[in-house]
Amino acid sequence: MSETSYSVLGVFATPDALMAAIPKARAAKLGTVEAYTPYPIHGIDDALGLRRSPLGGMVLVMGILGAVTAFGFQYWISAIDYPIITGGKPPDSWEAFIPIMFEVTVLFATFTAGLGMLLLLNKLPFFGHPVLSSKAITGITRDRYVLAIEAEHQGFDSAAAAKTLKEAGAIDVEVLPAPDRSPFLTSDFILRTLGGIFVACLVAGLTMFFATKWFPLLRPMANMQDQPRLNAQKPSAFFKDGHGMQRPVAGTVARGHLPTATGTQEAAATLVNPLPRTKEMFAVGRKAYLNRCEVCHGVVGNGQGSLTAAYGAKPANLQAQQFRDYPDGKIYWAIVNGKNAMPAHAADLTETQRWAVVHYVRALQRAQNAKDEDLKVVAP
Amino acid sequence: MSPNKHTSTLLWGATALGALGVLGTYVTAGHERFWANWVLWFVLIFTLGLGSLFIVALEHLVSARWSVPIRRIPERLATLLLLAIPVGLIALFAIPVLYPGARPEAAQHPILVGKAFWLSLPFFSVRTLIAFGLCVLGLAVLVGGSLKQDTTKDPAFNFRARKFAPAFMAIFALVITMIAFDWISGLTPEWYSDIFGVYVFAGAFLSGLAATALSVLYLQDQDRLEGVRGDHLYNLGAFLFAFTVFWSYIGFAQYMLLWYANLPDEVIYYKVRLAGAWRAVTISLAFLHFILPFFALVTRDSKKDPKRLRRVAYLMLGAHVLDMYWLIFPALGAKPCFSWPELSFALFFISGILLWVRGAMQKGEDMPVGDPFLREGLEFRL
Repeated sequence: MSETSYSVLGVFATPDALMAAIPKARAAKLGTVEAYTPYPIHGIDDALGLRRSPLGGMVLVMGILGAVTAFGFQYWISAIDYPIITGGKPPDSWEAFIPIMFEVTVLFATFTAGLGMLLLLNKLPFFGHPVLSSKAITGITRDRYVLAIEAEHQGFDSAAAAKTLKEAGAIDVEVLPAPDRSPFLTSDFILRTLGGIFVACLVAGLTMFFATKWFPLLRPMANMQDQPRLNAQKPSAFFKDGHGMQRPVAGTVARGHLPTATGTQEAAATLVNPLPRTKEMFAVGRKAYLNRCEVCHGVVGNGQGSLTAAYGAKPANLQAQQFRDYPDGKIYWAIVNGKNAMPAHAADLTETQRWAVVHYVRALQRAQNAKDEDLKVVAP
Repeated sequence: MSPNKHTSTLLWGATALGALGVLGTYVTAGHERFWANWVLWFVLIFTLGLGSLFIVALEHLVSARWSVPIRRIPERLATLLLLAIPVGLIALFAIPVLYPGARPEAAQHPILVGKAFWLSLPFFSVRTLIAFGLCVLGLAVLVGGSLKQDTTKDPAFNFRARKFAPAFMAIFALVITMIAFDWISGLTPEWYSDIFGVYVFAGAFLSGLAATALSVLYLQDQDRLEGVRGDHLYNLGAFLFAFTVFWSYIGFAQYMLLWYANLPDEVIYYKVRLAGAWRAVTISLAFLHFILPFFALVTRDSKKDPKRLRRVAYLMLGAHVLDMYWLIFPALGAKPCFSWPELSFALFFISGILLWVRGAMQKGEDMPVGDPFLREGLEFRL
């Protein structure tokens, strides 16, 4: 026989006959001894002298790696990179990491087991095992037990192998020729597969592009669009008053701020300006005044602002005796809450700016009504 | 004197010595400590017996064949339930001492008032008696029937047992939950955890498996289980392996939910066990009950290696004792204590259990010779 045969198959009628033949076939030392049976046979692994599968060790290593990866990643996220207190727990709470560590361990382990078995150990994908094209294959899938002596090198003696199997009690012997091309993965196959995936992506992408272009109202996935959330300027059914954003509870004071003037103007009369009367504060007050107040109240506070004439409004003349007698608190109240046609400036000016404006208005009032003594104060 | 008789004398001597220590505990070390130890050993004997009976019932439930040749071992171990009954009846005297729900102060406790009827001494005792009755029923049907089959060789027993097994599973769940909630969780009646019964079940099944594995190896050494091979041992080892994971899964699930919710009346349970000296006990429990046996049994060969299996089985029994100790003793507000009272209780009950099991092992056949599936079980291969 030729040296290019793949293997010699010996067909046996019973599993016991097969088991009895295995030691004889192995003793002949002609090639690798392999068995093909319709179902697993107890003890055949040991009889064939099969090496213990390395899969268990691979799964163990990858499982531990999964656990370590999950722990490390969660620890890095939660305790190092972006520590946030959640549910009152410390950022490095290992208890919270355990479920994900468990999941990732299982993920790594099962992927290793499944893909490692199929791709690494069974060398899939391949196209047709040579034994599948043998005559014996119909028997192997039914009621025949086949022992194969497979060629290990060029000098394989198929005649001797056939003789050994016959002597071991095979009822039939078949010599399988070597397949004309490799049944295993080829670069050609890989290229075609990748090309196919590329074409599929291209077709799907273009289809989607034109589908959404021509039929814009077709919403294949509305989940993002219709999610329950608050939209700006839209009513929300979540709260009773229909507003999405709720006002803070009355009397709420933001952290680091003072209680603001929320009562009546008379009640605010007792508030004291907390800012020192320094040049810096006058500069802050001047800037805020020119930005926010000047358009109506005028550069010197006489109610002749740059927009007053255009709109026909009558803003208060801050130089009038009435306002010169105002305590600081009442001016502050007017800035925070607005008065008559004047809008509230609580949103525009910070607390410091408001009180600085009060200082500045006081300075304007004193400058317009200066007395002789004021001249004695020499500015450096 | 034969070595057999020698061992017997030794065990009786140890029991007597232990009994002296037990009496000494009652007289000198305080009633609370005495009863805490007594309840601990009642729970241990009971869970060991019930876990073994569960193995027997499981075989009938799923019509397992591999375990038929070794079924007589858990059947004999299950008779420990009969030993647990007198121990449990004596333990009823511990109720007014240890269990806050059955004490007169409970009437002033705003939470316990609502549970007063359930936790009261009469109903507590009645529930325990019902549990005992149900155990005796299970023993009579599953173990008694199997023993009778040795002489009658009547396959009708297999059909009867297969029909009874599903019902027994419901009974088993009820009994182990009642015992767990009453005798262990009842020590802290304000605390509750739905999964607690399952946690105790995991420990009970593991202790039954470990005792079964040890007894199988013991009988194998005496050449009394002819035909039982590594394949049978492998299955026992695989069960042990799997249920160490189950135990830790349940234990951690309970811990994590209580830890996350952080409700004062729930989290106090772990607060006590993770503070001070109990912290070391908790960590060693996780190590001895899960990590060590898990890695000891993780490879295929280790599950059928008699030497390895024996060591892990001893470890699991020890870990189960530690587990129950860890459940019961912190609840009493005690610091971890292990001194002559605990030692004499251990001596008394362990030698008592060994005497009982030795007696059971010497009676009758070592395999269920009347079971028609015995041959199939002996031919079992992985």
